[in-house]
Amino acid sequence: MSVQIELETEAQPRSPWKDAWFKLSENRLAMIGLGGFLIMVSLCYASPLFYPHSPTFQTLSFGATPPLTMAIEVRYDAEAIEPDETITPKEFSDLYAENPASDVTRIRDGEILDINGIVFRKSPKTHLLGTDSHGRDLMARIFQGGRISLGVGFLATFVSLLIGVLYGSISGYVGGKTDAFMMRLVDILYALPFLILVILLMVVFEGSDHQLLLIFLAIGAVEWLTMARIVRGQVVNLKNQEFIEAAKATGVRTHVIILRHLAPNILGPVIVYATLLIPAVMLLESTLSFLGLGVQPPNASWGTLIKEGAEKMMVFPWLLIVPAAFFSITLFSMNFLGDGLRDALDVKSSKD
Amino acid sequence: MLRFILIRLGQAIPILLAIYTITFFMVRAAPGGPFSQERKVAPHILEQQMEYYGFNDPTYIQYFRTLWQHISFDFPPLTSYPGLTSKDIILDTFPVSLELGILAMFVAIAIGLPVGILAAAKKNSLLDYAPMSFAMIGICLPTFVIGPLLALLLGVWLGWLNISGWFSWSDRILPALTLGLFYAAYIARLTRGGMLEALNMDYIRSARAKGASERAVVLVHALRGGIMPVISFFGPALAGLISGSFVVETIFQVPGLGRHFIQAALSRDHSLILSTVLFYAALIIIANMVVDIAQVMLNPKLRYG
Repeated sequence: MSVQIELETEAQPRSPWKDAWFKLSENRLAMIGLGGFLIMVSLCYASPLFYPHSPTFQTLSFGATPPLTMAIEVRYDAEAIEPDETITPKEFSDLYAENPASDVTRIRDGEILDINGIVFRKSPKTHLLGTDSHGRDLMARIFQGGRISLGVGFLATFVSLLIGVLYGSISGYVGGKTDAFMMRLVDILYALPFLILVILLMVVFEGSDHQLLLIFLAIGAVEWLTMARIVRGQVVNLKNQEFIEAAKATGVRTHVIILRHLAPNILGPVIVYATLLIPAVMLLESTLSFLGLGVQPPNASWGTLIKEGAEKMMVFPWLLIVPAAFFSITLFSMNFLGDGLRDALDVKSSKD
Repeated sequence: MLRFILIRLGQAIPILLAIYTITFFMVRAAPGGPFSQERKVAPHILEQQMEYYGFNDPTYIQYFRTLWQHISFDFPPLTSYPGLTSKDIILDTFPVSLELGILAMFVAIAIGLPVGILAAAKKNSLLDYAPMSFAMIGICLPTFVIGPLLALLLGVWLGWLNISGWFSWSDRILPALTLGLFYAAYIARLTRGGMLEALNMDYIRSARAKGASERAVVLVHALRGGIMPVISFFGPALAGLISGSFVVETIFQVPGLGRHFIQAALSRDHSLILSTVLFYAALIIIANMVVDIAQVMLNPKLRYG
């Protein structure tokens, strides 16, 4: 009876997941990472809803303009709704160099100029980050590239998660000779030069319609090894512990044991590793794209954009710096978040 | 020890055979042969070429013939470099990649080791936090971002270095720095972790009690144990160096094996692809073995245990 009373007066115990969230929210770097990651994901995926430029629309006269380049709408008929032409400020000054009214700053200030019956006004579609060498809006291309880079990151991580968890839990749960054989196989696969095999795979299927699908299948098939090891280690540790034996002894059915008692306990390390795997996968995909073996035009990933930027950096440095910055910020965020999650969820670090 | 080495060498043979088989059939499965990308040639010349390079034989004959060629080091002429064999290409270009790798490792150790030791010795001070934050950046930033940015800064804006080529000693700086910075950051973190663990050991307390100076405790007593994680990192590091060399040699136009491998893959040179893949695989296997041996020799627990 007295025990009952004691329990009631105590504060509500926090669940381990709430506890982990509390720890995570205390970690400033991890929260910055979470914020940065969410911002990047929502910017990339939601940009078609609010960003006026298309990533594929080319205006050759706008080839490689610097950031904050204003577009000037030209109307031959002042009443027209759609502009007849869009030109750069430089083109405007070149065209009307002799005319005293041709002052770009007046257009920039919002004035509507009428020169010889042709109406010029500032377009609401400023190229915030400038354009690439084909006159495509750089920001729109970065968002599109981000959708592909992040998408490959998520899907390939999911593929390796699926293979790794299945392989690792079977190996750990069955044990014995099967376990030894399965893990020896993983050891051998670890020794293979995998980037080389992935490169070969990309060459084999070069130009096929399913190349994007193939990229994340190939990467997913390479990255599951560590996941399998982690899961197997957890399962081996857990399956001999008292609470599992107690569950077995009280007649709990196997699938309930697996779902109720095993799964929640291997979930922590799996989440942590998956979070750290996403940036690793994005890095691999971008490396392939940088080498010209990954995502092919007209698609673009951040790796392709950085490759294009690196080729033109002598003259147009922003084409390199801006995509590199987006990519790096995303990688940082994911790594910080992953490290924070490891501290918050890892059984090992909370014991010592 | 000899037995250990022999067992490891014995394990290497099936691994290499598996890699050979996978690569052989993967390359054959690729659409477009080695002659499909060049301009159209007359059919009878194409037929002659196919005959000369042995592509008309049944696949299993090609499989065993190529296997034997690799075992006996008697390589056939290449399709992408007529008159040369894979051996010529590897002997010509691997020294360049090796030089790049050694310089990069030198950069990594020269920066990473002192920084890691200092960070561990002055734990939780500015000397710990500042370099470790930089190390985090170095680990997160990919080679193909650091490389062009360094080239932009040191080559284009400051104009100190050439941004491509491999002629004078100064051309080595940018590629070696680009390839080495990631490992410098990684080694700094590993050293710090290993040193912190070693500094907490009982034998360090004994050394201090004996009156050993702080410098001797850190650099002599703790370093021996603290450096172990760095040594076991060298095996995986080599595989990373190889893939890093693909990127760095592409960025800076270094005439190394990595660039030739990418070229071979793109031009579907079956023979060169196979030889380079096997060469890389053998390199990684040998490096892992050397690292294992070094670990046993440096760690008394493993030696006598």
